[in-house]
Amino acid sequence: MISADIHITRPGGFTLDVQLHLGDGVSALYGPSGAGKTSILRLLAGLERGTGDDTINIRADDVEWQGRRGFVPSYQRKIGYVFQRPQLFPHLNVEKNLAYAIKRVRSDQAPALAQVQEWLDLSELLDKRVDQLSGGEGQRVAIGRALLSGARYLLLDEPLGSVDQAARWRILPYLARLHRELDVPMIYVSHSLDEVNYLADVVYMIESGRVAAAGSVFETSASLEFNKNESDSLAAVVHCKAVNYDAAFGLAEFSLGRQSLYVASDGPITGSGYRVRIPARDVSITLVKPENTSILNIMVATVDDMEEPVPLTGASVLVRLAVDDQFILARITRKSLSHLGLRKGLEVYVQIKGVALLTDNVS
Amino acid sequence: MNEADFTALWLTVKLATVTTIILVIVATPLAWWLGRTQTPFKILIEPLVALPIVLPPTVMGFYLLIAFAPESIVGEFWQWLTGQQLAFTFNALVIGSVIYSLPFYVQPLQVAFENLEQGLLDAAATLGANPVDRFFSLVVPACRNGFITAGCLAFAHTIGEFGIVLMIGGSIPGETRVLSIALFEEVETLNYDRAHTIAGSLMVFAFVLLLLVYSFNRHFKLGAPGYNRK
Repeated sequence: MISADIHITRPGGFTLDVQLHLGDGVSALYGPSGAGKTSILRLLAGLERGTGDDTINIRADDVEWQGRRGFVPSYQRKIGYVFQRPQLFPHLNVEKNLAYAIKRVRSDQAPALAQVQEWLDLSELLDKRVDQLSGGEGQRVAIGRALLSGARYLLLDEPLGSVDQAARWRILPYLARLHRELDVPMIYVSHSLDEVNYLADVVYMIESGRVAAAGSVFETSASLEFNKNESDSLAAVVHCKAVNYDAAFGLAEFSLGRQSLYVASDGPITGSGYRVRIPARDVSITLVKPENTSILNIMVATVDDMEEPVPLTGASVLVRLAVDDQFILARITRKSLSHLGLRKGLEVYVQIKGVALLTDNVS
Repeated sequence: MNEADFTALWLTVKLATVTTIILVIVATPLAWWLGRTQTPFKILIEPLVALPIVLPPTVMGFYLLIAFAPESIVGEFWQWLTGQQLAFTFNALVIGSVIYSLPFYVQPLQVAFENLEQGLLDAAATLGANPVDRFFSLVVPACRNGFITAGCLAFAHTIGEFGIVLMIGGSIPGETRVLSIALFEEVETLNYDRAHTIAGSLMVFAFVLLLLVYSFNRHFKLGAPGYNRK
């Protein structure tokens, strides 16, 4: 657990004023560029230390990293840090970059080289010069290097910010896998809601140097307040249990509370703790149960809350619906809202067109 | 070349080598400080370091001569420390050369340090490397070109030194009579054949050394930062 209490004023008026308690699993610091996310991460890493007028208290478990009694420099904090760009040492090849970390390992619980190579698919890259790597390959090596150093906390500063879209979705599963197999808390800075919903357990929304909202990813992904500035990629994340697999149709059945959710799957899936992403644009609402429809996923839900419709601006509103004890979002037109007469507490049916299985990394 | 010239050659190489070694030890931290910190004092120190580039060597030599005189503070301190006088000795030449060649060592290295990405140093720190470890495991190999250029320029420049040597060293064979002084004396006594030998060798040496520096920098700039090419 890293606890941080940071009050900083920068010349030019920017202030950072946050209190964080970052525990196990993946904690995401999410927010727009310039909100102070990277500054927070650099302070946690000891790469910045503030000036005399700032109040900074950072503790990791029982060790004071920064406070009235002193300052522990980065190289003694036992952290792994992944930067926006790989920052691999140019005078060393991939293998020697990894060896650099192994030589300075801080913990006897550091994963073995063979293990990290397998997790991150590095075997093919070992002989390469670092300037021969693509952005995505470079970041995988950088993540591996951080793990091999025996980090007790892994700090990631928009690690996928500089890699292309396709590489991003290839690397995210590696990160999810680390989260599952490695008992190292991660602090993940990102301005991508997709990445946060995919990976995070707890989300802190950072806005203008403050924590604007915080909660589990299931709460934040379905929060009207949290998502008010989001549009296209807006999606709620729910957690559910795999109960059945229909090989004939290639569909996995999950239970969401007492109801069923069907997701296309190439093979059988079992166990609990799956994360399913439901885009707000793909959810429609009806008052009566739809019959004879091609849409598989139809569930009973209760209208929990909705955005205040703003006349003239924007044709759509966001509606928050409770499905048993979890929440999803639907983006519908203002016209539909008024036509259906939706109000809080009303029982409705939701049709969900697109459902994507994310990871099984729910803690 | 006669024996006296060989003595001068040996003395010159020894002076350049000792000077370069001292510069590596003393001036590397200075170049690091100038290249990596943002202190306001920098604006005073940088021109001070660069002074020998623009001043006539005789100006430096004049002040050093006064400083090294036996009754001066520096001269007296040296006498107390070593039991010998300082002016007109090899040691005086070394001190003079270090000051005189300082900018030729500091400037290329300072540029190399300035170009070193802070992110690489941060990465090394988060991997558990302390500042000394970071310097030797990252800065030195990553700035190898800068070190080689700086060392070669300082060495070559010391070989070519004349004015300061004349002022603070004189021409004592085996002690302060370096090649440039020997050349001057051969010309004064109209020994043009021997003068040609010395002058020609110095030209060739300087050209070869600079050729090496430039070709090295060019070679390693292509496809940078591929120091590690096989």
